[in-house]
This record gives sequence, structure tokens and C-alpha cells, in this order.
Amino acid sequence: MSSEVLASRALKKHFPIKEGVLQRVAGHVRALDGVDLAVRRGETLGLVGESGCGKSTFARCVAGLMEPTAGGVYYDGRNIATLKGAAFREYRRNTQMVFQDVFASLNPRQLVKDIVGRPLKIHDEASGAELLDRVVELLQGVGLGREHLYRYPHQFSGGQRQRISIARAIALQPEMVVLDEPTSALDVSVQAQILNLLQDLQERQGLTYLFITHDLGVVRHMADRVAVMHLGEVVELGATDEVFAGPKHPYTEALLTARPELAEELGSEPAPLTEGRTPDPAQPPEGCRLHTRCPVATPACGWEVDDVLWWLEHALPEAPVGVVARHSPFHAELGFPDEGAAAAAVAALEREGQPLRPALERPRLSGVRVDVRLRETDPAALEDAGGGHLTRCIHHAPAQRRRGALGAPDAG
Amino acid sequence: MSVLASVEELRVDFHSRKGVVRAVDGVSFEIRDQEILGLVGETGCGKTVTARSFLRLLPTPPAEYAGGRVLFRMDGEMVDLLRVPEDQMRAIRGDRIAMIFQDPGKALNPAMPIARQVGEVFLQHRAAELLAEAGLELDSVDPVGRAVLRRALAQRSRVPERVALRLPPLRGRWRRLQVALDERVARALEETRIPNPRKTMASYPHELSGGMKQRVMIAQALACDPDLLIADEPTTALDVTIQARILELIRELQDRRRTAVLYITHDLSLVRRLCDRVTVMYAGRVAESGAAEDIFARPLHPYTRGLLGAIPARAGRGRRLTAIEGSVGHALHAGDACRFHARCPHAGPICAERAPELAVRDVREHAAACFLHDDRVALDPAGRPAAEVGG
Repeated sequence: MSSEVLASRALKKHFPIKEGVLQRVAGHVRALDGVDLAVRRGETLGLVGESGCGKSTFARCVAGLMEPTAGGVYYDGRNIATLKGAAFREYRRNTQMVFQDVFASLNPRQLVKDIVGRPLKIHDEASGAELLDRVVELLQGVGLGREHLYRYPHQFSGGQRQRISIARAIALQPEMVVLDEPTSALDVSVQAQILNLLQDLQERQGLTYLFITHDLGVVRHMADRVAVMHLGEVVELGATDEVFAGPKHPYTEALLTARPELAEELGSEPAPLTEGRTPDPAQPPEGCRLHTRCPVATPACGWEVDDVLWWLEHALPEAPVGVVARHSPFHAELGFPDEGAAAAAVAALEREGQPLRPALERPRLSGVRVDVRLRETDPAALEDAGGGHLTRCIHHAPAQRRRGALGAPDAG
Repeated sequence: MSVLASVEELRVDFHSRKGVVRAVDGVSFEIRDQEILGLVGETGCGKTVTARSFLRLLPTPPAEYAGGRVLFRMDGEMVDLLRVPEDQMRAIRGDRIAMIFQDPGKALNPAMPIARQVGEVFLQHRAAELLAEAGLELDSVDPVGRAVLRRALAQRSRVPERVALRLPPLRGRWRRLQVALDERVARALEETRIPNPRKTMASYPHELSGGMKQRVMIAQALACDPDLLIADEPTTALDVTIQARILELIRELQDRRRTAVLYITHDLSLVRRLCDRVTVMYAGRVAESGAAEDIFARPLHPYTRGLLGAIPARAGRGRRLTAIEGSVGHALHAGDACRFHARCPHAGPICAERAPELAVRDVREHAAACFLHDDRVALDPAGRPAAEVGG
């Protein structure tokens, strides 16, 4: 047995965007775009990010509910896509899942005894009277009892439903449970009950948790390690205490703005994201994917043609600008209605437009057209910022690379 | 500071086939000028029902205002909002009292561009000012034209009138009115720091992000400079990275305009940052109220203590949270008992017999409805309220 229960390697999941009568594929939403993440035996790995960052897709991929587009999920060192027969069943019984929506994840037509007993039946663990005893035992383990056996899900409150969900997930004594926002739909006091229950179960059964949430307060309370996800990528990964004591990515800091009591511990006020271009998950920004909304962006963060367009639209809302020819994300020819507008746009870009401006070579004006070329930047890489604390932010990259990127003479 | 609005012994019933549920049972609190009052409680505690009573937004039936008053100061006089005639209520809604709803995606009309939705508020409440701004002294328009313009402003034009508005004598005036209206809408949007308001005005709600939609709703609510703004969990449906910005915006606008705010939330940690005073509700009643700092520093009611102990970020990592056992469940049918007694770690014999009254427990108007802090009730050796002393 390896120390990692589950691991993803270069995991990608792209969803096609279909358009028109023929449902032609017009593009892909990159929900997961190369995620390397390992869950160690016995730990709680917290996965945080705002809605749409791909964290639920990750949960479904590692739980085997969704097939990845590329890359793989490895259980005990073996790719689950290659597992067959008994080996696959073993993976399945050892990786269970608890969902966010307690109203949708329990079959409304089944009795609690059938819902919780189902996994035991499928894996031939028990039947008849023994099955019932096991179910009662499981219910008691999550704070319910024999009196709840013959009831339907609608007869329970949200917190109790989540307990039923948890009982079902731990029925087969799995190694790992994937918890996808298990408490987001619950009240604070009920959330506290469920979190306590999860901790008790982990101690008692030695469970490994992948805990997915958008609430940094919950992660801080539950997780041993935290991975922060943004637009399909892990942007920061480290021990919980280290991440909360000194976040090394501006996105993590922005998440902290919603939890003032955690932010207070930092000593400095975390900066919220700026209101820049909203990124399109089908065409994630170049370089660092946060650069369009990053409060501490530098010229080296991957500014591209779309940023110039966005900036021009906001600085000069009256002048319509179009793309005549796009050679690459970093090089395009822009078209304006008349020469005056083109000259005004160039002048405006020259004057202001920080921090985009230094990344932009002098825009070449020819009549109504402007040729813009920006510094080409590689996608930001996840690098060790010291002590196993990984980040994609250039501000925390190893000193040598940081000097190389930030210290380069401006292209303008 | 004087009282802007006060809720007195409010009772709201909901009639269903299974009987009557009293969602709000004798709630009293007051909102003072220029303050932010937090109304805190869990799902089903009656906080939204209370807030909606201010604007009489509950559908009756099934709801019924079974008692109490909601007083609101209008021109120096207190009026009972539950009893004013419907046409006066219409004049108050959006003008003197405005509301921001939880889900901006549901609260905005998906089939109407932003400019019209925000403009509607001005048309309803500021028609006369619009006419003045457009330079249309009504006296210079013939009586028929005046009537047509008035009706158009009130959005009540009939088909022939709409035709008349497009024809020469009225066309120019109507256009000037539209320009004045657009100008106002743009200013309202600008104030909530929406970049490029003119572009936003032409878009439909689905074209905007959640944060932008919430800004539009705030612009709409603050358009007429209300005396009281009711915000019902305005950040719950938003992304975590946006929440802080919207809070900051509400705070800043409140600061600038000195509007009183009733802020409804289930998140105690937000309250601490935002509110001056807090009222905690449990199962249709007020459990505790006081200055925000007092409630956080010295919570009196066991329910408030439980809520504070349940916040994960406040407890250390790996430490157990002090969860409140059980659930609200049927506390609404608790009869005469304290509604919290079944879940309360300190419950004593008296708690099951009758309900404690909300009374001020210290010098700073910090009030709690709990026998633990009642001098007239003796505690048993385990520290539980046992019986009343001296009858």
C-alpha cells in the first residue's frame, strides 16, 4: 500500500459547448485543466475555490463518476481506467461520495433501510436480518436510530438527510470519502453537528477525506492540507496552518476577504480581486489565469490581446474596436472606424493602461489599423515556494525565476 | 438617535391544510436613524417574514397578520405599515422603504433591459421631478398632452396614447423625458460603481454576472434615497470573492447617505463587521438583542452562545465545535414553554413551564429572553433556572 490513497495526474476534463441546430462543437469549457493532486492516507485534503472553478468536477472524476478527457486518476498506484472486475469493485467500495444537495442525492421513493443497505447488498456484505442489524448500527453511528429505518427521505430535516448520506457512504468501511460541499446547504448550528460527526468518524474508522467547499472557515477547521483551485487549476497547495498564516497566492487572499475573522489573523488586510475582465472558462487567460482580476498583477503575468480589447472598451467606450487579424493570443491587428479613433486609442494606451502597458510593444499605427504585440508568456507553473508550499504566483516563485520575469527590461 | 421604525409584538400566521403555523410570535425591535441593525437567525426562524412585513410583501392568504404593529416614521409621524391603505403602501415601497433580495438572478425581470427596470422606480416615484428636469413646465403643454405624458410616466398608456407619443406635438417632449430618465438611471448605476453604466443599461440580467446584478438591485433600491433599506441576505447567493465587495458597497453607501439598514443574515461573522446592533431570532421570537460588540463579547442567551461556538473559523483547527444538539423541529408548537428549552444545555424546570420575556439585562440595552439572567428566578445547584423566587 502506498501512502497515497488516490492521486490525479495531469487530470483534464473538458466539456463541449454545442451550438446551432446540428449541435456542432464550438469549443470546450476547461473544467479541469491539468490537475495533479494526491490524497494521503488518513488525511483530510481540503479543496477550495469559488463556484465554477472545477472542484466538483474533480470530485466526480476521482470518485469514478465521470471519465476524464485526459490524464488519469490513480488508486493505489493504478489508473482506474484500466481496472477491471474485482479490482474495479475494490476501488469503488473504497471511494465513496457525499453530495451537497441532500434533497437530490437520496432516492425519494426508497426507505432509509434500503438507501443505507444498498451498498451492503450490492457488495454481498450482508442480507436479511443481518443486513438490517448492520443498517441500524450505521444509523446509530451517525446519530440516528432504529426508529428511522422505515421512513422516507422527505420526513427528515436537511441535517438528518446529510447523516443518512454519510451512513450510506461509510457502509462499506471505505478508505476514502469524497465530501462535495457537505454542509453548504445547512445552517451554522447543523453544520457544526455534521462537521463534528465527520471528525468522529474519521478518528474511529481512520477515514481519508477529500473535503470540497467554498468556505475557508470550514476548510481551516477540517483540513490538514489545502488545495486552492481557480479556473480548472490548482493555484496553491500547502499545509493548512501555513496557507492560512501566509497565503502565497492573491486568489487565496481574495477568498479570505469573505471570512473577516480569518483575515484578521493575517495582520494585513487581504486585497479583494479587481473588477477586470471576467475570464472565459472556454478560453482561460494566458500566463497566470488570474491576471485579469489580480490586484498585484505585473507586466510578466501574461497580458494578451483580449486584455487590450477589454481595456480599450472601458477606457474609450465610444470608440468601437474590432479585431482584423489575430495571429496569436499575444499578437493581433485591431481595426478602428477612423484614423482619429485609432490614434486616440494608441495615445490612451501609451498614457495609461498599467500594468498592461510595459508588456505591450509600441503599438504600430497604420491608418485605421493598429498592430499590437505583447510579451509572450508561458502558462504559470505550480512551483515550490519553500517547505512544500506550492503556488502559481510569480511573486512567490523561486528567486531566480522571479528576477528573470520581473527584472527584464520593459518591452515598450 | 430617534427611532425610525419599530416592530411591536408582531405576529404572523400561515394557514395551511395541516393547521396554522405561527411563523412570527410577538417580535419587537426598533430601528434607529442611520444605524445598521442585524437580524440574525437560522432557516425558518421568521427573519424574512418579519422583514417582508415592513413592505407587506407576504401573500395573504396563506399569511395573516395576526397582531402587533410595524410603525414607520413618515414626515415626523409614526404610521402603522400593516394598516395603511394599499395605494399609500405603493407610494412607500421603493421610495421610503426599499428592499434588496437574496438572489439577484430571481429578483430581476429576465425579459426587461436594466434601464427599464431601474427607470421604473423613478417613473413610479419621481415623475414630477423628471418633468422639471426635462424642462417641461407642465403649464406650457396643453391639458390633453399633459394627461398623456402623465399617464405615460406612470406606465399606464393605452394604445392610442402610445401612438400620440410618437407623433410631432408630444414626440419631442417624450424624448426629452426619456433622456432625463436615462440620465438618472445612469447616475444611480454609477453610484454602485458599475463600470460603464450606459452599456449595462442596455443589457438584460442574464448578460450580467451575479455581482453586477446585485449592484443593479442595490442601485434600484437606493434610487429614491429611501429612509430604510432592508437587505435580505444580499451576499448569500454570490461567489465568495464578490461577497466582501458587495458588503463594502452597502456599507459605503449607507455611510454616505445615512440610510438606516435592516440587514438579515444567518452568518454571525458578517454581522460583527457590518452592524451596529443585532437582534437574534429563534423560532419566531427574539432571543437576544444588543450592541454588536456586546453580543460577541458577552452573549447572554444559550442559543447565541451556541451559534457563536458553531462557527468553524472561531474554533481552533481539529477542535470540536460546540454544536447545538437537535434541530428547530417543532419548536413552533412549543406552547407556553421557552422555545429553546429542548435544545438548551442549561434548561431547568421553569423553562418547560413558561416562556421568558425579553428584558434588558445590563446597562447597555443588552437584552435576552432567558431565565438564566432573570433576577427573579432562582437557579438550582447545577446552575439551571428552577423556579421563581417569592412568586
